Amino acid sequence: MVNIYGSIDNMHTPLFSLKDVWFSYLGKIPALSGVDIDIYPGQKVSLVGANGSGKSTLLHLLDGLIFADRGSVSFLAKRLEAKAFADEKFDREFRRRVGFVFQNPDVQLFCPTVKEDIVFGPLHLGFEKNEISRRLEKIIGILDIGSLLDRSAHQLSVGEKRKVAIASTLIIEPDILIFDEPTAGLDPQTSRKIIDLLVDRSLESRTVITSTHDLHIVEEISDVVCVLGQKGRIIRSGQPGSILSDADLLAENNLAHIHSHRHKDKVHVHEHAHSEHHSQE
Amino acid sequence: MKDNGLLSFLKDSLFSEECALRGGLLQSLDPRIKVLGFALILVSALLARSIGFIFCLYLLSLCLALFSGIKLGFFLKRTWVFIPLFSLIIGLPALFSNFTPGEELLRINLGSFSPAISVSGVLTFSLFVLRVAATVSFAVLLSMTMRHFQLLKVLRIFGIPQVFVMVLGICYRYLYLLVEIVENTYLAVRSRVGAGLHYRAGQQVAGWNIAFLWMRSYRLSENVYMAMLSRGYRGQVHVLEDFKTGLKDWLWLIFTAALIICTLRFFH
Ligand SMILES: Nc1ncnc2c1ncn2[C@@H]1O[C@H](COP(=O)(O)OP(=O)(O)OP(=O)(O)O)[C@@H](O)[C@H]1O
Ligand SMILES: [Mg+2]
Repeated sequence: MVNIYGSIDNMHTPLFSLKDVWFSYLGKIPALSGVDIDIYPGQKVSLVGANGSGKSTLLHLLDGLIFADRGSVSFLAKRLEAKAFADEKFDREFRRRVGFVFQNPDVQLFCPTVKEDIVFGPLHLGFEKNEISRRLEKIIGILDIGSLLDRSAHQLSVGEKRKVAIASTLIIEPDILIFDEPTAGLDPQTSRKIIDLLVDRSLESRTVITSTHDLHIVEEISDVVCVLGQKGRIIRSGQPGSILSDADLLAENNLAHIHSHRHKDKVHVHEHAHSEHHSQE
Repeated sequence: MKDNGLLSFLKDSLFSEECALRGGLLQSLDPRIKVLGFALILVSALLARSIGFIFCLYLLSLCLALFSGIKLGFFLKRTWVFIPLFSLIIGLPALFSNFTPGEELLRINLGSFSPAISVSGVLTFSLFVLRVAATVSFAVLLSMTMRHFQLLKVLRIFGIPQVFVMVLGICYRYLYLLVEIVENTYLAVRSRVGAGLHYRAGQQVAGWNIAFLWMRSYRLSENVYMAMLSRGYRGQVHVLEDFKTGLKDWLWLIFTAALIICTLRFFH
């Protein structure tokens, strides 16, 4: 694998290293309990878990937006804490390399127009003006949002807002992409496009960390899956194949769905996690 | 619940950019120069002493409205809602000789109190009403043909600190979201309990709603701030300047400048 990270990080030094991380909101709502993960350059990691299991919290922590109560989160061996981000040089470098797409597009679109929202990142990260226009052209081509540029975010549908939010992060061209629920609220074709973007061969060296409930896409977009259980405890992590085939694990964590089928007049109900298992019935 | 009517009125009048999105004369001008021109016209209207000239200014506003794709009836309705509000209350006393002494035109007999209307009073009053009509028309015209974000950008250029302008923009953006949340909550409540909700229960819902809204907006602002940090915000605002000026803009500026020079020379 090509090492695009300079000398310090190669496949053997984790990009992110979390050691016994605890986090609670307002000091009383536990959201993460003793999380240990290492994420290596180029890895595609999916966090799966029920609602409220702490996926978004963990992603916020990785992006340096909140800080652990206990334990440590480090990026290339540097502790991510308020002190580190006070340093403008580190902050800018980190923000250029790590892009975050929020679960709720409404929080990510705060500018008067779509265009201003999309260029907010590059403008604040000090990109050249020409470079910004070039990237703007490129991203509106990829996501097909040229007609939305002069609209206000409040005039957009949920799916359009999502696309614009995605554009506003992708335009930074980060080599680490954190994506909270990549396909939520998108129509099938747009979903497909986003998944294709995530697994694009030319961007293989990019690290992608996603959270999702959608087990159908996990196998495609990830090579490591972490299952988060109650109160943000990592129950298990491993390759998608082994996790997706463990029906008990998935059922325990609200991830398997119960399907009812109608065969002629008979209806029968059974649990399974994966669409493929349908055909084997 | 009546509140819904008020909400949709708020939504329509605050957030509708229908006129501003039409292609017309004023919509096609560069926002900066447009605002500057309007400022010059407003100053003319305030300084001019000639009824005829101010009347022409008023006609000008109607022409501009027509050329900007605004229906005259709609425009008159929009403006004449405000005009009496400002002019009649303040201007009415000027009609009477007690305030504007002069030749008596008409005496209203109300027993012991019999005020008289003077000729100069009528002139002063009509000048005043016309002036209000002209300024209100131009103000409404500007707000109708300008998208709010352009206004924000112009504010920025005229020296208002960027952070204020950004906060203003964010407020505007999220006000809509909150209005929508309230609206949806009402709909949700109504769909569960029916339209015949007792007013006491309605008040409870409203009270709960406000508390809920507070929490929502607090959490929202926290998350918006995180989204800004995540894309490189460090307390300093940078914006894209993409104004473009053309011949039409300079003609507009020359026209309005000529107007104010005329006012100062001949009608002041
Ligand atoms: N700002 C906050 N204040 C208080 N509690 C919060 C806040 N954000 C999240 N929580 C709580 O922390 C826990 C974890 O939330 P988190 O958003 O990380 O879950 P999630 O796995 O992303 O859920 P979902 O799948 O619904 O997005 C939940 O119990 C949630 O109620
Ligand atoms: Mg979440």
